[in-house]
Amino acid sequence: MKDLSTKDIIKPLKTEKKIKVKPFSKAGLVIRLTLIALAGLTIYGFITFDYKNITFFEALAGSLTNFRVMFTEAHFNHFTFSEALYQVLITLCLALLTTIIGAIISLFLGLFAAQNLSSPLLSNSIKNVIAIIRAVPTVLWVLIFAVSAGLGSVAAVIGMTFHSVGYLVKAYSEAFEELDHGVIEALQAGGANWWQIVWQAVIPSTLTYLVSWTFLRFEINFAAAIAMGAAAGAGGIGFDLFMASNFYLDLREAGVITFFILAVAILLEIIAVRLKKYLKTAQ
Amino acid sequence: MTKLLELQGVSKTYGKNTVALSEINFSVNEGEFVSVIGPSGAGKSTLLRCINRMIDSTSGEINFDGQAVQKLNKKALRQFRTKIGMIFQHYNLVDRLTVFENVLHGRLGYKSTLAGAFGFYTDEEKRQALELLSILGLESQVYKRCDQLSGGQKQRVGIARALVQKPKLLLCDEPIASLDPNASKVIMDYLQTICKSMGITVMVNLHQVDVALKYSDRVIGISKGEVVYQGDPRFMKEEEIHHIYGSEAGELIFNLSEESHYVG
Repeated sequence: MKDLSTKDIIKPLKTEKKIKVKPFSKAGLVIRLTLIALAGLTIYGFITFDYKNITFFEALAGSLTNFRVMFTEAHFNHFTFSEALYQVLITLCLALLTTIIGAIISLFLGLFAAQNLSSPLLSNSIKNVIAIIRAVPTVLWVLIFAVSAGLGSVAAVIGMTFHSVGYLVKAYSEAFEELDHGVIEALQAGGANWWQIVWQAVIPSTLTYLVSWTFLRFEINFAAAIAMGAAAGAGGIGFDLFMASNFYLDLREAGVITFFILAVAILLEIIAVRLKKYLKTAQ
Repeated sequence: MTKLLELQGVSKTYGKNTVALSEINFSVNEGEFVSVIGPSGAGKSTLLRCINRMIDSTSGEINFDGQAVQKLNKKALRQFRTKIGMIFQHYNLVDRLTVFENVLHGRLGYKSTLAGAFGFYTDEEKRQALELLSILGLESQVYKRCDQLSGGQKQRVGIARALVQKPKLLLCDEPIASLDPNASKVIMDYLQTICKSMGITVMVNLHQVDVALKYSDRVIGISKGEVVYQGDPRFMKEEEIHHIYGSEAGELIFNLSEESHYVG
């Protein structure tokens, strides 16, 4: 009796098969095969690269040296701290402007695109057009508008706004569609009309979503504004980064600009988190 | 007593074959407390929503306060709906707004688009809303956000929102189905008070047969989209209740003798 341990009582089931947690499914098999194929392709790619006599470790060491120079010896050569600050401000303004214009347009289009607030025909047509706009990358939109507006800030503002609208209409309309139908019904039953319901029920209920999507888009637009400064000559810190790295070949200056951008990005993130917290608890 | 509401041959079909309501006939007098009972899916909610045209009936005539409801145009419909308050099982409040704002939503039907959209209410409207909130025992919650309230409190806010419309008729779609017995009693007592002392006609969809028998002046039984019973709850027999629900004796939870005792 004393020596009896759990081992003796619960005997291992040797003869039985493994018990499956999930039943076999076709979809699961396809996913697994795809992953295996991708892994195989990756390995094959690395083996058959044309390395042009550069050894892996030498290249790695070179890259690390460049990174070290960039980030530990960062300092200004062609402009001053205050000038850099001014350029970051320009980039931020570009992001802010496109986000605000985009948000205002998207708010109205989003209302008409929401299934529960609009007719199926209008909703579907807006959603389809928006999907096409969204499928084309921001840079491409800017370059398309540069054909008529010329390379520069005007093309950047129009192109970035365009893509922002594509993104925000989808986000907003989905937020509106999440709203409980009963709330709309209750106000309708009391005689409220469409605009009253929108401003009194739909927007107050979805405000946190709207703000967080808009802020997320602002962060994306900030990154896009830097790229536009380099690619489309829209000015701002992006253009300086482009000049430092491609024209002056100055790693140290590229480093200091990167730090600047990083600092702003972190600041934006902190503001976003605070704002969301405030909205959630606010009366 | 004057007739406030009259339904004649009202039918509602979805698509070609799905019949939700067929040939509904009844009328409701001013100041009456009417309960509608019947199994789930019998068409109780559809019936209620046909009255204030949240759902358009397919055929038949609905007359409310001397108006032919189905013939109203968009503008007249809005005006007509202000005369009918509605409360819901899930309260349907805007959770992120305060109790006060939610109650004032009941006034939207009287306001211009702009004033309503931006929430400009007159002092008179605000005073009415506060008065109703104190009648319903919510004076200490006026500036609380609705997501901080209990179910019973939310339903009282829903009632206040309906009453601030100054309605002639109050439609209640399963008002106590999500509430505990205590809160249910509080809500039903308020509805009774509203009916008896404010003179507002009340029409309630209910799942609880006991409650329907206890509170109402008249019970309407609906089964498969048809009115199968109409009458005074005091004289309602057990077989008639079983007929409404299509059940056999002993299959339902209610106590007829005890309830008629209460009423009597």
